[in-house]
Amino acid sequence: MSSVATAEPARGADPGAEARVPASAGPGPRIDGSVPTAAGSGPASAIVVGVGNPILGDDGIGWRVVEEVERRWAAEPRAGAEPPPVAFLCVSLGGLSLMERLVGAGRAILVDAVRTGDRPVGTVFAIPLAELIPGVSGHLDNAHDASLPVALAAGRSLGADLPAEITVVGIEAHRVEEFSEELSPPVAAARLAAVEAVLAILRRGGMPCS
Amino acid sequence: MTRLTIDPVTRLEGHAKIEIFLDDTGEVERTYFQVPELRGFERFCVGRPVEEMPSLTGRICGVCPEAHHMAAAKAADAVYGVTPPRPARLLREALYSAFFVTDHATHFYALGGPDFFVGPDAPVAERNILGVLQRVGAEAGARVIGARKAGHHVIEMIGGRAIHPCTSIPGGLTKGITEAQRSEIEAIGHSMVDFAEFSIGVFDSLVMGDPAYRDAILGDIYRDETYYMGLVDANGKANFYDGRVRIVAPDGERLGEYDPADYPDWISERVEPWTYLKFPYLKRVGWKGFVDGKDSGVYCATPLSRLNAADGMATPKAQAEYERFFATLAPANGGPKRMVHQRLATHWARLVEMLYAAERLVELASDPEIASDNFRVVPTATPTEGVGTVEAPRGTLTHHYWTDERGILTKVNLIVGTTNNYAPMCMSIERAARSLIHRGQVVSEGILNRIEMAFRAYDPCFGCATHSLPGHMPLEVTLRDAAGDVVDVIRRDG
Repeated sequence: MSSVATAEPARGADPGAEARVPASAGPGPRIDGSVPTAAGSGPASAIVVGVGNPILGDDGIGWRVVEEVERRWAAEPRAGAEPPPVAFLCVSLGGLSLMERLVGAGRAILVDAVRTGDRPVGTVFAIPLAELIPGVSGHLDNAHDASLPVALAAGRSLGADLPAEITVVGIEAHRVEEFSEELSPPVAAARLAAVEAVLAILRRGGMPCS
Repeated sequence: MTRLTIDPVTRLEGHAKIEIFLDDTGEVERTYFQVPELRGFERFCVGRPVEEMPSLTGRICGVCPEAHHMAAAKAADAVYGVTPPRPARLLREALYSAFFVTDHATHFYALGGPDFFVGPDAPVAERNILGVLQRVGAEAGARVIGARKAGHHVIEMIGGRAIHPCTSIPGGLTKGITEAQRSEIEAIGHSMVDFAEFSIGVFDSLVMGDPAYRDAILGDIYRDETYYMGLVDANGKANFYDGRVRIVAPDGERLGEYDPADYPDWISERVEPWTYLKFPYLKRVGWKGFVDGKDSGVYCATPLSRLNAADGMATPKAQAEYERFFATLAPANGGPKRMVHQRLATHWARLVEMLYAAERLVELASDPEIASDNFRVVPTATPTEGVGTVEAPRGTLTHHYWTDERGILTKVNLIVGTTNNYAPMCMSIERAARSLIHRGQVVSEGILNRIEMAFRAYDPCFGCATHSLPGHMPLEVTLRDAAGDVVDVIRRDG
């Protein structure tokens, strides 16, 4: 008998969700981005989003980084007042759907593979989203809905509570067009540097320039 | 010879490139629509348990994971020779209906809509959902976002996650829904019906009510007469989750209807040296090249195709809209069935489908059995081979799996929605280019966008979810003389 026959149906059970919000995080952004009041009182909440496809080679680096950041952040010793809540999320989304996941967060850190072509593979960098995609990008013309900047502008025009600060931690990728769960060696080697970059931003409470 | 290249590079759905070759007199000689293929998915799957496929295949594409989830679940059912109990069927189809409303709404307002609501000549920075919101108003925009949120909520209630559902397994689902959830889904269904009717009203007033757009839809620039494919139920009505595959000729004559598992008897694939993607065609008609007409085996599988293939819609409001659609666009021709060949009418067809999906969601959620505990039967047969077919928003989607006696995959074959439409998309692009580019003419961005409109109607999605954040999305047109030297470059960086 195959293993499939042993699976136990569980009425009403949620078998998993993309969002993993620590219990201590309070009312942080949910998977459907439906809690716009999360950042409405007290210190601004943050959301750390791993963006990418975990089975498409180097495109999975964002997820790997965020999973490690979540572990490290939970284990980090803290003195004094509790820091603002942080939510962690891994998604294979862009455009409107990604924008909808950011609703309610005071600030967001997006971790993703990037192929600029002008940096060595494995290079880690952190910049504001607006600097990665200057102005309003034209993704619409080929993608399914909109570029993230356009989606953010659309969301804001409709009154959505979106992060004032969005930082991209990018890892220059090499192989993103062949199905694989393996990272190429330079990208795998960059994982911890990217983790440190995200943690540094979280600890500072924002980008160095902000 | 002069070569024009439209190179809309995007990291969201793979890359695609259009090359337009002009002859010495400046007329379009030939166009090529090239799509680099993601590699190695079959190899990636072989050796894994087949019950992983409903979750795994959802990762092929970030745009329609729900469609892959359902096709994979049905193929896995077939591999185990198991028929899910009726409540499981209701649950799966309800999830799928909510997904269809969400996906079609997104396309209409965010991808297809800008060409009509903002205009094909508008600057690219305005030709997006933001421009649409300015045209249709903030209240309408809020309804769009609200419909997406409601759709994702239904998908999450049934599928466990809002985007990448994970509850369908061989024989049914891992969980059911409560009576309270059933009631909530029913209410959401009613609101989706209102939203779909509202969207049809928007299309009527802003698109069909505008003489220029109406002429564009009814004209010949975006018209190709091909065969059409679509799933139909036992009454010949369109269905997205299940049914038999019907093929209808350009004149409305039915070529045939078959069980999805028999697809190898009906579909062959043509290989061309200039692209990695294959061109499916109808085996019984044969490949005659990139030409339309009844003698050419090129077929189309889109919302427009589904309406052409079916006898009607299974819900009352959608049926009324279906009848209005054909009465408006296809005067009686004396043939067996009125047919619509104008590719831009696909946008309207999508709205007819959206209304049907919303009504269907209400029907399914109103069935008390949907909240039953009987949402799975445990398979007992030895797994072998199975085919699962659904209608994805972009066309008929087929998964075919082979396993050993332990349910471990030994072979995988997928025919995805967009692949069906590869040949007709190439033809539509070429026809648009021939109609719009003539000797001595300066090729403006507006003209290029009108050519892109030809394939945007198909809502193409080239099967990947490489979400590396993009630096920009350039559209580059390079004009080269016969010697290959660059004469001019038109570039837009977004």
